[in-house]
Amino acid sequence: MKYVGKSIPRIDREKVAGDAEYAYDFTLPGMVYAKLVAAPYAHAKILKVKYDEALKVPGVLAVFTGADFPFKVGIYAADRDVLAREKVLYYGHPVAAVVAETLEAAEKAAELIEVEYEPLPPVLDALEAMKPDAPLVHEKLHEYKHAPFIYPKPGTNIATYLKLRKGNIEEGFSKADVVVENTYYEPLISQGYLENWVGIARVKSDGTVEIWSSHQSPFAVRNLLATSLGLPIHKVVVHHMYLGGGFGGKAGLLLEHIPVLFSMKLGGRPVRLELNREENSFYMAQRAGYYFKMKTGATKDGKLVAHWGEYILDAGAYADYTVNIARSVGLKPFGPFEIEHVHVDSYAVYTNKVPTTAFRGFGLMEVLFAAERQMDLLAKKLGMDPVEFRLKNVLVPGKSLTHTQERLREDAGDPAGAIREAARLIEWGKPPEQPKEPWKFRGKGFAAFWKGPVQPSNAAASAIVKLNDDGSVDVLVGTGEMGQGTITALAQIVAEELGIPVEKIRIAPERRTDMVAYTWQTVGSRGLFSDGQALIRALEDLKSQIRKIAAQVFRVFEDQIEIRDGKACVVGEPWECISLAEMALGYMYPNGNAIGGPLIGRGSHVPVRNTIPDPETGKSVPAPFYTFGAGAVEVEVDLISGRVKVLKAVMVLDTPAINPMLVAGQVYGGTVMGINIALIEELKFDENGRLLNPNFTEYKVARAGDIPDEMIFKTLGVGQKDAPYGAKGVGELTMLPWPAAVANAIANAIGVELYELPMKPDKIIEEVKKQRPELLEKVKEALKIKG
Amino acid sequence: MAVSKSVIVFHTLLPEFEYFRPKTLQEALELLDKYQGDAKVMAGGTGLLFFMRLRWMQAKYVIDIKGIKELHTIKYEEGKGLTVGATVTLSELFENEIVKNKYPILWDGIRQLADMHIRNRATLVGNLCFGMPSADTAPALLTLKAKLNVVSVNGTRTIELKDFFKGEGKTALKPNEMVTSVFIPEPPEGAKGRYLKFVRTADDGPIMGIAVLVANPRDPAKRIVRIAFSNVVSTPIIIDEVEELFKQDKPLGELAEEAIKLIKSKVTPKSDVRGSRELREHLMEYGTRYLLKTLIEG
Repeated sequence: MKYVGKSIPRIDREKVAGDAEYAYDFTLPGMVYAKLVAAPYAHAKILKVKYDEALKVPGVLAVFTGADFPFKVGIYAADRDVLAREKVLYYGHPVAAVVAETLEAAEKAAELIEVEYEPLPPVLDALEAMKPDAPLVHEKLHEYKHAPFIYPKPGTNIATYLKLRKGNIEEGFSKADVVVENTYYEPLISQGYLENWVGIARVKSDGTVEIWSSHQSPFAVRNLLATSLGLPIHKVVVHHMYLGGGFGGKAGLLLEHIPVLFSMKLGGRPVRLELNREENSFYMAQRAGYYFKMKTGATKDGKLVAHWGEYILDAGAYADYTVNIARSVGLKPFGPFEIEHVHVDSYAVYTNKVPTTAFRGFGLMEVLFAAERQMDLLAKKLGMDPVEFRLKNVLVPGKSLTHTQERLREDAGDPAGAIREAARLIEWGKPPEQPKEPWKFRGKGFAAFWKGPVQPSNAAASAIVKLNDDGSVDVLVGTGEMGQGTITALAQIVAEELGIPVEKIRIAPERRTDMVAYTWQTVGSRGLFSDGQALIRALEDLKSQIRKIAAQVFRVFEDQIEIRDGKACVVGEPWECISLAEMALGYMYPNGNAIGGPLIGRGSHVPVRNTIPDPETGKSVPAPFYTFGAGAVEVEVDLISGRVKVLKAVMVLDTPAINPMLVAGQVYGGTVMGINIALIEELKFDENGRLLNPNFTEYKVARAGDIPDEMIFKTLGVGQKDAPYGAKGVGELTMLPWPAAVANAIANAIGVELYELPMKPDKIIEEVKKQRPELLEKVKEALKIKG
Repeated sequence: MAVSKSVIVFHTLLPEFEYFRPKTLQEALELLDKYQGDAKVMAGGTGLLFFMRLRWMQAKYVIDIKGIKELHTIKYEEGKGLTVGATVTLSELFENEIVKNKYPILWDGIRQLADMHIRNRATLVGNLCFGMPSADTAPALLTLKAKLNVVSVNGTRTIELKDFFKGEGKTALKPNEMVTSVFIPEPPEGAKGRYLKFVRTADDGPIMGIAVLVANPRDPAKRIVRIAFSNVVSTPIIIDEVEELFKQDKPLGELAEEAIKLIKSKVTPKSDVRGSRELREHLMEYGTRYLLKTLIEG
């Protein structure tokens, strides 16, 4: 192959040149500015909102409160007020808004709004929120509209739950010789993307609503906006531009409805709502917090037999995608291993904290932290090597039943191969060389992983390919470009199929929903798999039209035409060709007769054979593919600073790569992000529910200096037959093993078992004091001054 | 119980202020005297503008001193010390051979302060003038017994750095005064020193930091040991009694133990978003042990 499988540089190089346009750059003539104002209580009744003084500020057009928008919006459950009504549900909850000619006037007026509250007791912890006497975040849960697969429990804080049942759990544990039972905790974190959210909306005189915003999935924004506001789909036009990072945090409808509604109230004037970093932390949705209670059993010869779990997600005040993540972790409640008896209940629970939504990996990194810790702890109890223990239980394509009782297709991938190769690359079994400083300890750790897209069983995609006058190609797809590189990989597929260089292909970064081909969403590592399949079908469609014309010109059968190097030629006679340019707009004979006309290929994709989970057991085929892999690290724990440094990180993915350089980019980025989440990232709240670190001064994303010394990755090239050139998704996968692998490595380095993230210095020192106090005595001894 | 409380506004924009860029010190001092507490002096602006956007600091008037040439000087007098003007950036000091060779403990602090982009803009004097406990250059300067040269329309005075910090965000400066330079005496003969900074990620502000200066450790008569901390309590602090303690003619191992005990009795670390009290207690103890050992034995 000439283009596929090659490390071709990204086609969106205008980012480097500085002329890429993001939604934050976008303005419209006559645009006015909206500013939200927040409540300083985690939970309180709103008694009165006063804003006469704000209205007097020159340039102010309107002040809105919750009363102006007496309805709720939301993705899977309509649980969200446009602006808080009756109650504020978290510290920082928008309680009113100003619209003014300038941002200066809007900010000035915002300070003059006064609200009277009656504070209510907040519930700030998900386990507390599950208790029968807990304060209710949403008293009127029974009135909320919700998707059919979401099961809110009115009268409680439960936003949804999922039941997974496989085999018979009692029977499973009766067979177990060893059992490991633990509770794991992972705090709320931020997606930490660079571009703060912005939305600019206007309503045209014919009722068309237009929005430019910082989002991942233009068609999801269109669908959710139209549904939430009761508008016909074709009257909503969503403009997508380059996205400065999303990581799931911009997957669905976030705040787009706000500028749209304000514009409607102001006669259609363009309204811009732009968030600064602090606002982004309070008004956008963050990643949920997690409790995993797990009990896992194995026989003495190392066969997993039973897994029981209760998973509780802290969804914050609005559950957004978190309800679906509760399903995601419920349906993939453990690593890529076969277990005969599984019993898991997964809940998303409302609390009086910032709202939560999707994050890269959709719960899998989080559940795998707990599950892959369980694996190491079981291996320890069994006296078995953890890699060998994993290989003994790993899913076997064509044979094994997954946790949702799906028989894995025979070309599903190579889970065992990934584990073996990662073990080889980290030199598993060879103890790490210990540093000469006696307060530093090294250890290796391992984790296996898997994931497929979490999506409706009919999540569709489509593509349109237009052949241009000169034989170049315009490609219309719906997937967003947020740095993951999908459009470059799609261009390589076009190049390969038509035999033309990548330079002759344009996939514009901009999308508008009425002018490009549909795709469900840009999430779940599904872009290349779904849009890629649609694109290959569109190219097949285009090629069959090309063959038809060439066959007519050369008076041969269509199957005697081959398309190579941008030409259609008679098979076996490469000198008998017509260039694609010659037929792009219709082929013309010497006498002026023409045939064909402009050539357009179209193709569609919808997942096949996926099924909706059974509500009682979760039995289903939930995803069109799984990518399997394994990660391993060598870490160094410093008992003076309490810091953990990852010296070496190894990742193996079973899939082929359309573009190895792009996959490397994903692996490096995902590794740095995953390790930093393992070690330091957390949203911190005080006892009143106030978020303490809403900006990057105190919320610490990784810096260049935190990149591991050595990162090694490898793809195994084991393709799934219906994937484009066999390639499955990798974007989220590159994050999944790190918290577990790092925790397992820490345990191997210092003999301290950790069950909570982040594994920050505070935690390391605290746990060393509890579990291995003699280590600190040893360090103290080593630091004694001689003489 | 009904409570009335204004809403929270997370500002994107700076508040309105009047901006001055005087060319002479006299002009700056007159403005400062005229506006008193309503005016703030700005050098690099990396701190002031951030604090003002978040409304943690208020100023109706901002006096930008970068146009005053005489403040942009580094002067070294052999045997006496180094004078660093108020607009000298941290990057300029990082590249200065005198700082690197004669004041390695300070250079170590500068090296670890924020990142290169910030250091290109931020100044040494500015790092001190906010009165933040997390000032990375403060512990080194405390062990070097630095002094601040302070002026106002009424005249000049000198403030010992250890008397300058008056609580988080508070200094000994009067509203009409400004710091024109910091004077750093020649380090004691044979002095070595390091600033050990504990962080969450690269380029972070300190969870806390420790500066230890050691001279002639094996000679009790000439031995000098000084220890200072950033971000352990509400100000940068030096533990004065340490210097006295190490004057005793006892084995160094024993003195180090006594010093640790003394520090623990004198300092109760804070708990905040960067780290718990328990972590800081550990870092203070083990970090100090580590620095003492490496500087005395190394």
